[in-house]
Amino acid sequence: MGEAYASLLSLRGLTRRFGGLTAVDGIDLDLAKGGLVSIIGPNGAGKTTLFNLVTGLDRPDAGTVSFEGRDVTGLSPERLAAQGIARTFQLGRVFGNLSVMDNVLIGAHTRLRAVKPAVPVIGPLLELGLALLRPSAVRAEEERLREEVKAILARFGERLLPRIDQPAYSLSYANRRRVEIARALALKPRLLLLDEPTAGMNPSETAEMQGLVAELKAEGLTILLIEHKLEMVMRLSDRVIVMDEGKKIAEGPGEQVRGDPKVIEAYLGHGLSGTAEQESAA
Amino acid sequence: MSSWLDYTINGLIVGNVYALVAVGLALIFGVSRLINFAQGSIYLVGAYIGWVAVVQLHTPLPLTIILVAVVAALVGLIIERFGLRPLQNSVRIAPLLATIGISFVLDQLVMLTFSPNPRALPSQLPDVRFQIGGGTIGPLDLLIAGVGITSALLLFVFLRYTKLGWAVRAASQDRDAAMQMGVDVNRVNQTVFGIAAALGGVSGLLVGMYYNQIDTAMSLQATLKGVVAEVVGGAGNVPGAVVGSLLLGLVESYGIAVFGTSYRNLFAFLLLVVVLVLRPNGLFASARQAPPEPLTGTFIAPSRPVRIPRWAFAVAVALFAILPLLPVSFYVLQTLINAWLLGMLALSLTLVAGTIGQVSLGHAALLAIGAYTSALLSLTLNLPVGLAIIAGGLMSAALGTILISPSFRLRGHYVSIATLAIGEIVSLVILNWESVTRGPIGISGIPPLSLFGYDLVDPKAVYWFSFVVMVVLALLQVRLLGSHLGRSFRAIRDDDIAARAYGLSLNRYKSLAFIFGGFAAGVSGGIAAHLYSYINHETFNTQQSILALTVVILGGLGNVVGALLGAVALVGLPEVFRIAAEYRILIYGIVLLLLVRFRPQGLLGTI
Amino acid sequence: MSNINRRTLVKGSLAAAIAGTTISRAAFADADPILLGVSGPLTGPNAQYGTQWKQGFDLALDEITAAGGINGRKLAYTFEDSQSDPRQSVAIAQKFVSDPRIMMELGDFSSPASMAASPIYQRGGLVQFGFTNSHPDFTKGGDFMWSTSVSQADEQPLLAAYAVKKLGLKKLAVLHLNTDWGRTSRDYFNNAAKDYGAEIVVTEGYIAEERDFRSTLVRVRDANPDGLVLISYYSDGALIARQARQVGLKQVICAASSVYSPKFLELGGDAVEDVHVGTRYFPEDPRPEVQKFIAGFKKKYNGLEPDAFNAYSYDAMNMAAAVIRIGGTDRKAIRDAFAKVKDVPSVIFGTATFDVATRRVKGAMNAELVVRNGHFTVWDGKPT
Repeated sequence: MGEAYASLLSLRGLTRRFGGLTAVDGIDLDLAKGGLVSIIGPNGAGKTTLFNLVTGLDRPDAGTVSFEGRDVTGLSPERLAAQGIARTFQLGRVFGNLSVMDNVLIGAHTRLRAVKPAVPVIGPLLELGLALLRPSAVRAEEERLREEVKAILARFGERLLPRIDQPAYSLSYANRRRVEIARALALKPRLLLLDEPTAGMNPSETAEMQGLVAELKAEGLTILLIEHKLEMVMRLSDRVIVMDEGKKIAEGPGEQVRGDPKVIEAYLGHGLSGTAEQESAA
Repeated sequence: MSSWLDYTINGLIVGNVYALVAVGLALIFGVSRLINFAQGSIYLVGAYIGWVAVVQLHTPLPLTIILVAVVAALVGLIIERFGLRPLQNSVRIAPLLATIGISFVLDQLVMLTFSPNPRALPSQLPDVRFQIGGGTIGPLDLLIAGVGITSALLLFVFLRYTKLGWAVRAASQDRDAAMQMGVDVNRVNQTVFGIAAALGGVSGLLVGMYYNQIDTAMSLQATLKGVVAEVVGGAGNVPGAVVGSLLLGLVESYGIAVFGTSYRNLFAFLLLVVVLVLRPNGLFASARQAPPEPLTGTFIAPSRPVRIPRWAFAVAVALFAILPLLPVSFYVLQTLINAWLLGMLALSLTLVAGTIGQVSLGHAALLAIGAYTSALLSLTLNLPVGLAIIAGGLMSAALGTILISPSFRLRGHYVSIATLAIGEIVSLVILNWESVTRGPIGISGIPPLSLFGYDLVDPKAVYWFSFVVMVVLALLQVRLLGSHLGRSFRAIRDDDIAARAYGLSLNRYKSLAFIFGGFAAGVSGGIAAHLYSYINHETFNTQQSILALTVVILGGLGNVVGALLGAVALVGLPEVFRIAAEYRILIYGIVLLLLVRFRPQGLLGTI
Repeated sequence: MSNINRRTLVKGSLAAAIAGTTISRAAFADADPILLGVSGPLTGPNAQYGTQWKQGFDLALDEITAAGGINGRKLAYTFEDSQSDPRQSVAIAQKFVSDPRIMMELGDFSSPASMAASPIYQRGGLVQFGFTNSHPDFTKGGDFMWSTSVSQADEQPLLAAYAVKKLGLKKLAVLHLNTDWGRTSRDYFNNAAKDYGAEIVVTEGYIAEERDFRSTLVRVRDANPDGLVLISYYSDGALIARQARQVGLKQVICAASSVYSPKFLELGGDAVEDVHVGTRYFPEDPRPEVQKFIAGFKKKYNGLEPDAFNAYSYDAMNMAAAVIRIGGTDRKAIRDAFAKVKDVPSVIFGTATFDVATRRVKGAMNAELVVRNGHFTVWDGKPT
C-alpha cells in the first residue's frame, strides 16, 4: 500500500469558538503512523474540545482535519469511526445497562460485515432482516467477534473477564475506564484517542494502564493522548503538545517542553487547579 | 384587510390566555428541568376554588384571587414535597411520569367533588367592552394580560435581583454545584413550585371567568397548549414562554383565517414540531448553546432484570393458549383480547421507549395508521382481512417512522413532547382528510377478522388469533433484542454520544426500531379495526398512548415479558375494580405514583 | 337496665327490617329484578353525560316501580363505566351478553364505543338499545340494534324550517361540532336549508375541546350572514353565543335541540338571550308525559330543571319497560317486541313507535323556543 500522506492525522488551523470564548484556537498538529503524541495543559485549555473536533462530535469554525491524507473536517462521528478513529471519554462513558461483553461488542460495530451488507437504500432493512433470520454467516461473525472480545478483555488480566456478563454500571470506576479502552480496541482503530485514561486510578492501576498503552504503541498503534500525569506522558510520548487557553504554547520532545518557561508559567499562572487535580488524581 | 387586524388581535388575546399556564411551566422547567404535566390540574383546582369563592362565599375579586393563589400554592407545595422531592435522585423519567400520575389524581378528585357537569364562573368585573378593530375587548382581557406580563416581569426581577432568585438560577444551571455552594435546593424547588402553582391556580380562575365556564376537561387542554407555548419559547425561559404563547395564539388564529376552524390545533402542533426540529432549544435560545439535557443518559433506571426461566414462560403461554377450552366466560376472553391488543402496542412502545430510549407519548397514532389502512384496504379493495392487517402493519411501520423521524435528533423530554405533537397531528389529519378517512363520520362496516376465507367471529377464535399474533411478535422481538441490533439500540439509549463515536448512526437505528415497533402497533390497530367494525378519529386517542406508556413502565422498560405482564395487569385491574367505577382513574393515578416512587425500573426490570 | 333497653331496641329494629323486606317481597313476588345493562361513561371526558343518564333512568324506574313494576317484577339496571372507550365497551358487551340476567343493553354514549360493541350484541342476540346514537350507520349493525335517538334526518329539517321559514333567515353561518353527530347533522341541515331557499355562506367545524371562537367568528362575520346556526352541545353552544355577542355580532342565533339545558342558560348568561332553539319538548308543554317528567324530575332532584339528555334516558327507560312488558324475559322476544310496541308515551316523541325498517322512531315532537329573560319560552312569532 503506497501511503501518499505524510502523517496519519494532521490538523491545520483548527478553531472552535463558544460565544466569546475561543476554546480551540488555530491548532496545527501532525501525528505520524505509529506515533504517540500527548496533549497536556491546564484544565479548560481546550484539550477535550480538540478531541471532539477530531472525532466529529463537534464541528470546527475554521481549519481542517485530515486523516490518512483525506480531508475529514466536519464528518459525522459515525463516518469517522468507520474510518478507524476510536476514542475514550474524559468522564468515562460506558453503556451502563449493557454487559461488559456487549459494551465491547459495540466497539466492533463498524466491523460488522455479514449482518450489515453495504447495499444502498435498503441496507438498513436488510440489516433488520438478517438480524432476525441470522443465517450462518451472521452467526459465525458474531461468534468470531465474541472470541475477539474475550481476547481483548484478557489483556486486562482478571480485571474484566470474570465480570463479562455484569452490567457496566455495577463496575468500579477504574474498571469502567478499562471497558472503555477495550471497546476502543475492538474497533481495531488506526488512530486511538485516549482522554485521561488514568483519571481516578491509584498508582498501581495507573502503572498497569501505562504498561498497556506502551504495549499498544509497541504493536504499532497510532495514539493521541490527553493526560495529566506528567510522568506517564514523558515515558510514552514521541512528542508533547502543550495547550493553554485554546492555543498551542509549546511542542516538542517531553524533556524540552517540560523546561519551557511558557509551559511553567501556564501551569503556575492559573493552572494551579490543574496541578492540584493532578495531585489528587495521583 | 381589517379582518387580519382582527385575527391578529384575537390571536394575541388567546396567546395571552396560554401565557398564564406557560409561564408557570417555564419556571418549573427552568429549575428542575421538568415538564410539569400536572400544571393543568392545578389550573383546574384554581378554577374550582374560584367557583367556591365566587358563587358560594361571594368574595370580592381581590380576595378571590388571593384565596385561589394561596390554596393553589399549597397544592403546589404538597406536590413538590410528597410527589416529586422523593424522586430527586431517581431516574429522569420518574418525575415526568409522577406529574402525569398527579394530574390523574387531582383531576379525578375535582371530578368526584364537583361532578363532571360544567359550571358557570361569573366574572366579577364590570362588563364594559372597548372597540378594537372589528371586535371588542373587555376588562378581563386586560386583567389576564396584566397578570401574565406582570408575573413574567416580577419573576424576571425576582430571578435577577433577589438572593433566592439567584439561588433558583444557580440551581437551574448546575444543581450539584449550587448545592456545594450552599444553595438549599429544596427550598428553591419549594419556592418555584409555590409560585408556579399560585400562578396556575389564578390562571384557571381568570380563564374560567373569561369563558364563564369551568369543567374537569379543561385540565389536559391547558397543559397541552401551555407545553406547546413553553417549548416554542424555549423551555425554562420565562419571557420566552410569554412570547411563545402569543406566537402560538397568532399561528392558530391565522390558521383559522386561512384554512378554517377545524385546522386550529393542527397548526398549533405543527408549530411545535417545526420549532423542535429547527431550533430544539426554542426560538430564543442562542444557536449553538449546549443542549439543556445532560449529556450522559441517566434517563432510565439501571437495574438487573428479573430472570424468568424459559419453562415458566412456556407454561404461561400454554396456560393462556388453552384458556378458551376451560369454562371461562366470553367476558374474560374479551378482556384478555383487549390485553393482547394492548400487549402488541406495549411491545412496540417498550422497544422504542425502553430499548432505544425514545419515550413516545403519541404511540396511539401508529394504531390509527394501521387501523385505517387495514380498514380501508379491506373495504375499498376487498383485500382479504389477513393481508389487510399485515398491510396496516407495514404502513404504520413506514409512515410512522417517516412522521416520527423529525424527533430523532431530540433528547429526553423533548422526544416525548414531539411525539405527543405528532400523535395529535395524525389524529387531526384523520379528522380533516375527509376524502380518504371519511373525517368525523368514521369508517363503519369494517369486515370482521378472517383467515383463509373463514370469518373469526367467535370470541374463542378472536382470542386465539390475537394471542398467536402477539406471541409471534413477542418472540420476534426477543430475537431482535438478542441480535446486534438489540445491543445497538440499548447503547444508543444509554449514551447516544458514545454510540455515535462507535459508528452507530442514530437515524438508522432509531428508524429500524420504529419500523419494527411500528409494525407491531399497526397490526394491533388493524386487528382492533376489524374487531370493532367501526373506527373514527377518536378511537385511538392520547389516553391510549399514556396507557401504553404506563404498561411499559410497569413491566420494565425494554422488557418484552414485562410489557405483556403490564398489559394484562392494566387491562385486568380496571375490570376488577369495576365496582368502584368512579374511582378507577384515581386508583390508576395512585398506582402510577407508587410505582414511580418505589419501583421505577418496573416489575420485571429494565433490559 | 340500659342494656336491656338497648337490646330490645336492636331487636325491634331487626324486626322492623325483616318486616320491611317481607313487605317488599309481598309487593314483588319474584325477588330478582329484571335487569338491564347500561354501558356508558361515568369517568373520562364524557362523564357528565353518564351522570345525566342516571338521573333520567332513576326517575323513570321510580315511576315504573310505583306503578307495580313489570308484571309484578321490579325493573333495575346495572351501569358499567365504559369511559365511552370502544375497548371497554366491547368487554362490557361480552359481560352483558354472557350474563343471563341481562335482558337488554342501553348505550353506549359515543358512536365509536357503541358501534364497536354492536357485532358482539348482534351475535350474542342481546338488544343494543343505543338511545343516543344518531350515527346513521348505528342501526345498520343488525336487527338487535335499536335507537330512539332522534334521527338527524328528522331533526335538522325542523331546525332549518324554524330558521329559514319562520325566522326568515336567508344567509346562514353554520357552526358545528366536528364529530360524527355534528357532521351528519350539518349535512342534513344544510340540505334542508337550501331546499327552503336559504344560502349557507360559511360552515365551520370545531373540536369538542375548543373554547375560543373569536377567530372563527371573524370568518363568520366576513361571510356576512343574517343568522348563526349552532349544531352544538350546551357548553360549547353557550361559549359561541357569548363570544359572538362579545365581538359584536348581533345576528339571530338559532341552535339545535342539544343545547336545550338549564346549563345553557347558566353558562351563556345574557349572551344567550333571544337565542332560538328547536327542541322536542319544553316546560310549559301541556302534554301530560312532559308535565309528569318535569314535575317528577324537579321533585326528585331538588328543583333541578331536566335537560335533553335527562329526557333521552328517561324516555329510554320507559321504552325499555314497555318493550319488556310485551317481550317478557326472553332476549329474542324482546327484540321482536321492539317491532310490536305502539304509541309508548314519550317526552321526545309524544308517542313513540318504531319504524321496523330503520329500527328508529320517526316523528319527534317539535317546539320552537326562544330564550327570554333567562328562560326557555315558546316563541311568540315575534322577530328578535
